[in-house]
Amino acid sequence: MSIAQAFEAAVPQLETPRLILRAPRLSDFDAFAAYQASERSSFTGGPLERNLAWRSFGHVVGHWVLRGYGIFVIEEKTTGRAIGTTGPWFPEGWPEPELAWTLWAGDIEGKGYAAEAAMAGRAYAYEALGWTAPISMILDGNTRSEALAAKLGCVRESGFTHAQFGACSVWRHPAADAQGAGMEAYA
Amino acid sequence: MSVTLSNTPVLTTERLVLRAPVAADWPAFHAFMTDARSEFVRPGELDEGKAWRAFGHVIGHWVLRDFGMFIITEKGSDAALGSVGPWRPAGWPEPEIGWSMWSAETEGKGYAFEAAQAVQAWVRPTLGWTRFVSYIDQKNIRSQALARRLGCVIDPAAAAIEEGVDAWVHPEGAA
Repeated sequence: MSIAQAFEAAVPQLETPRLILRAPRLSDFDAFAAYQASERSSFTGGPLERNLAWRSFGHVVGHWVLRGYGIFVIEEKTTGRAIGTTGPWFPEGWPEPELAWTLWAGDIEGKGYAAEAAMAGRAYAYEALGWTAPISMILDGNTRSEALAAKLGCVRESGFTHAQFGACSVWRHPAADAQGAGMEAYA
Repeated sequence: MSVTLSNTPVLTTERLVLRAPVAADWPAFHAFMTDARSEFVRPGELDEGKAWRAFGHVIGHWVLRDFGMFIITEKGSDAALGSVGPWRPAGWPEPEIGWSMWSAETEGKGYAFEAAQAVQAWVRPTLGWTRFVSYIDQKNIRSQALARRLGCVIDPAAAAIEEGVDAWVHPEGAA
């Protein structure tokens, strides 16, 4: 078994009606790098040229080892395409543990994928990690992400300025025991 | 709940054990990355968040490439003294062996040489590397001395990773 296969076996896999949430792989890097090179990434610290995107992707992998959890790559079941990431996220410099999400391309928006994936990622954080009411940090101006946070039942709490990423808002997720927050339909 | 790198190799030398990085190495890596010692292996000053991401990449590199930086430890202690290993992030024109010793106390014992020599001997048969380099800042005198001791010479024709950094080619060995 290669190191990559062993890593993949160590990372849980989640399933929703239309999506698989799984460990990040080398074969995801091109799609990740394309996202990082696009203006879409301006709300998550980008745009980044390919060499910096590589280091960022390496950190996405390494975060799993450093924390024991991390963000999943979202794969569309019908196509096998890697379309984004979501999951529990807590790099150094973050004010609190976060539930994060990104969709990597415009053509897979508008299908409810981000919400479907984020709810599964949240249920995982509540049930497997025992998280209670994490935050999501959303950079100012990212209205699509704010709409998703509202859809997920989050409440905007306060502003925060991240040293690297800039001005953002802290959105609080509903508590784990609140109806509909944890189990949803995907547990 | 834990996720660790597994199926990673361990190299043993006379005095050292070279193993894959673990989460517990973070404080030692952080101390190094925020110290002047690391000036030649980082892009400017790193705050804690950036150092964390750099360490995440050190770990993730193993998964993405199936090889990466070993952590240098003394036999009988698991404390991280530095790193050495095969390195190929995106944008690297050629495969590299990189190294760093993380604190001054562990210098002067020949540890970096002993560790780098073991990796040099390991990458040829295991990864099938024939030509590989070490990228060294022109102001990094100590690292240049180590490269010479390992039999490396500057290849002025080699593709550069940045200005002011030379590519030192490792000697050809029996594959």
